[in-house]
Amino acid sequence: MKMTELKAGDKAEIVFIKARGEVAIRLVNMGLVKGTRFKLIRKAPLGDPIEIMLRGFLLSLRLSEAESISVEKIGHVGDGKPMGGGGFKRRGR
Amino acid sequence: MTRNKNIKEFKEISVALAGNPNSGKTSLFNGLVGRHLKVGNWAGVTIEKYEGLIKYEGYKIKIVDLPGTYSLTAYSPEEVITRNYIIEEKPDVIVNVLDGTNLERNLYLTTQLMELEVNSVIALNMYDEVKKQKIEIDFKQLEKLLGSHIIPTNSIKKEGFNSLLHHIVRVHSGALTVPKNKLSFREEVEKNIERLIAIIKGDQILVNKYQSRWLAIKLLENDQITYSAAKERAIWLNIKRELLDVIGKYDEIFESSPAMIIAEDRYAFIRGAIKETVQYPKEIKKTLTDYIDSILINRILGLPIFLGLMWLIFQFTFKLGEVPMAWIENFFNFLGKGVSNIIGPGLLQSVIVDGIIAGVGGVLVFLPSILLLFLALSFLEGTGYMARAAFVADKILHKVGLHGKSFIPMITGFGCSVPAFMSCRTLKNKADRITTMMIIPFMSCGAKLPVYILLIGAFFPVAYAGNILFAVYLFGIIVAILSAKLIKTTVFKGESEPFVMELPPYRMPTLKAVLIQMWIKAYMYIKKAGTIVLLAAVVIWAAGNFPVSREINKTYAEKTYKIEYDQKLDNKQKENQFKEIENIRLSKQLEYSYAGRIGKFIEPVIRPIGFDWRIGISLVAGLAAKEIVVATMGTIYSLGAENEGSADLVNKLRNDEKYSIATALSLMIFVLLYVPCLAATVVFHKEAGAWKWTWIYIGYSMTVAWVLSFAVYHIAKLFLV
Repeated sequence: MKMTELKAGDKAEIVFIKARGEVAIRLVNMGLVKGTRFKLIRKAPLGDPIEIMLRGFLLSLRLSEAESISVEKIGHVGDGKPMGGGGFKRRGR
Repeated sequence: MTRNKNIKEFKEISVALAGNPNSGKTSLFNGLVGRHLKVGNWAGVTIEKYEGLIKYEGYKIKIVDLPGTYSLTAYSPEEVITRNYIIEEKPDVIVNVLDGTNLERNLYLTTQLMELEVNSVIALNMYDEVKKQKIEIDFKQLEKLLGSHIIPTNSIKKEGFNSLLHHIVRVHSGALTVPKNKLSFREEVEKNIERLIAIIKGDQILVNKYQSRWLAIKLLENDQITYSAAKERAIWLNIKRELLDVIGKYDEIFESSPAMIIAEDRYAFIRGAIKETVQYPKEIKKTLTDYIDSILINRILGLPIFLGLMWLIFQFTFKLGEVPMAWIENFFNFLGKGVSNIIGPGLLQSVIVDGIIAGVGGVLVFLPSILLLFLALSFLEGTGYMARAAFVADKILHKVGLHGKSFIPMITGFGCSVPAFMSCRTLKNKADRITTMMIIPFMSCGAKLPVYILLIGAFFPVAYAGNILFAVYLFGIIVAILSAKLIKTTVFKGESEPFVMELPPYRMPTLKAVLIQMWIKAYMYIKKAGTIVLLAAVVIWAAGNFPVSREINKTYAEKTYKIEYDQKLDNKQKENQFKEIENIRLSKQLEYSYAGRIGKFIEPVIRPIGFDWRIGISLVAGLAAKEIVVATMGTIYSLGAENEGSADLVNKLRNDEKYSIATALSLMIFVLLYVPCLAATVVFHKEAGAWKWTWIYIGYSMTVAWVLSFAVYHIAKLFLV
């Protein structure tokens, strides 16, 4: 599924990034690569952009960018599923 | 310090600070250099360059604060500046500043610095927060993995500073060594790097200029800057063949590009290093940031809170600014009067009082709003709300091709374009920044209000006044939105900045940090705009006063003389008549001056939009400052310098058969849209950074103003007369 199809509170893992060129590099620079686990925190009041948490920090991106990211949903907030990596451990597990 | 090279009292060490935005790098820098701070600009871009020089243990340490970046790719100006500085200026030691509470993200830049194999020291900043969050770090092991000494620091309490400086000196002198870092990539990548290094080794110039391994990695990453450097060399053919081969192979094996694979491996290394050396606390705790965000940017309250805060900034900047602005105005009026009394009437008095003193006052009068706006903005930036504001507003602005961060400059534009242009620096992407700057003048600034009030008062019934005023403002906003769309689809076609932005944790900025930012902005304004605006003010003054007509002076001197000796008039009557005659003289003199001639010269151009030469003169004078439009009209109508809404001028305009509602509407639209005042134009030029933009901006606003005034004038004439 696409990152844009997730709901607030969903946890997911990136399986593929379709974007190329500058957008791809930007995403990579901010920690979005294949295998990265994240949680969708919320959507902006007007529905776009969205806010996710990954590697222990908060990131916002537009739907148009999230569109190019394929993800696999792995759970929902509060289910205790690990987000993997040191980042999420900051908030405790 | 003496520059005598024979006395080698102090050895110099050059140090560069590199780190992510929001890593506390700037406060670390401020703490280190204290008041030895020098602000400039990086060549060719509007990014501030901070430098400082301190002495430590017999060394002179020159510290440069590089712009905050997340990476060393070549996509943003910050990244290009940082890597060019490191590669070309070759600082002796790089201090990599990390936010200790967010190591995983911060270490990505570190891995890229590790690839450069430069002397580095890591400042693990915000160490107090690290301890508070009960994060435990195995420094010894992490140092081994990263190949660098790690010093815990706290920039607010200046903890760890001595140790940091101590390490810088020792690493530089070679007294301290570290093992080679443990960063490596998967086997395929390492093999490809080896092969590329072998090719690169065949070119001595490349080998001398770059670290071969770094160059190989960058070429694999499809890095445009290294590509163009390598393209000029004879071995490029070999490199190209190798790269094409690699790209094809990676597509097949990994369904990905080498750049992605390399990035994945860097993150894998970071994850491994953190797993090995960092212990996070067990219990689940909601952070302060989570709580604040759940209110400030929640789906229902997010937008109202955002708008409310923008309103507050606006009120804070301009309402609070009015008071000191009035002081400055009064002070310069007082100064002008005082000087007038000392010098006595004449040309010298005029040039000093109306030219220089008025000019300096005209520059300084903007200072309160600049100080207050940047006080508010650096506070919001420091707390972390600014990114949230962009998050909330982005959807609306993105529709017209702008960025969430364009909102603050646009709102500020309603007060004054000068600070609004300056606040565009928060927009990192050039296309977004220039587009926002181009449309700011259409946000009707405070100085245009007197013109509207005068014209609405003269031509519209009181009952409609509010609506007409609102319509004028709205018209400006609509023109701004359409212009943004136009500029984004023509000038900057296809250049759209991805909106991938960190929402940093909320922090309380220190008063000192906020004040430093505020001061820097004010200083830059005075230094850059001040001199040119002053010069231009004198030129515009001269245009309004020269050439002096002897004939006019003679005629009115005679008239004055007649009144003086007229027995039938008492003193009061005489005084009134003197005043009247002086006003008529000023009007005639203005008509005779260069400004008057320009007004007449441009009459053919402005006649189609309903203006005559008298309005022409006022518009030319209005280039100095928009308030002057009304004052100049007062002078031309022989009323002396008038204030807005003055009954005399309103009556004159109302009774002048040349003027109609159509003229009034056309004039309001023209004043709304044509080039803003000189101070604003100068600041625009400085911030845009190239003549090209300044000319486009002048040409565009003039054209839009003329075309729309023309349309409004003729439509109004059809329907209203």
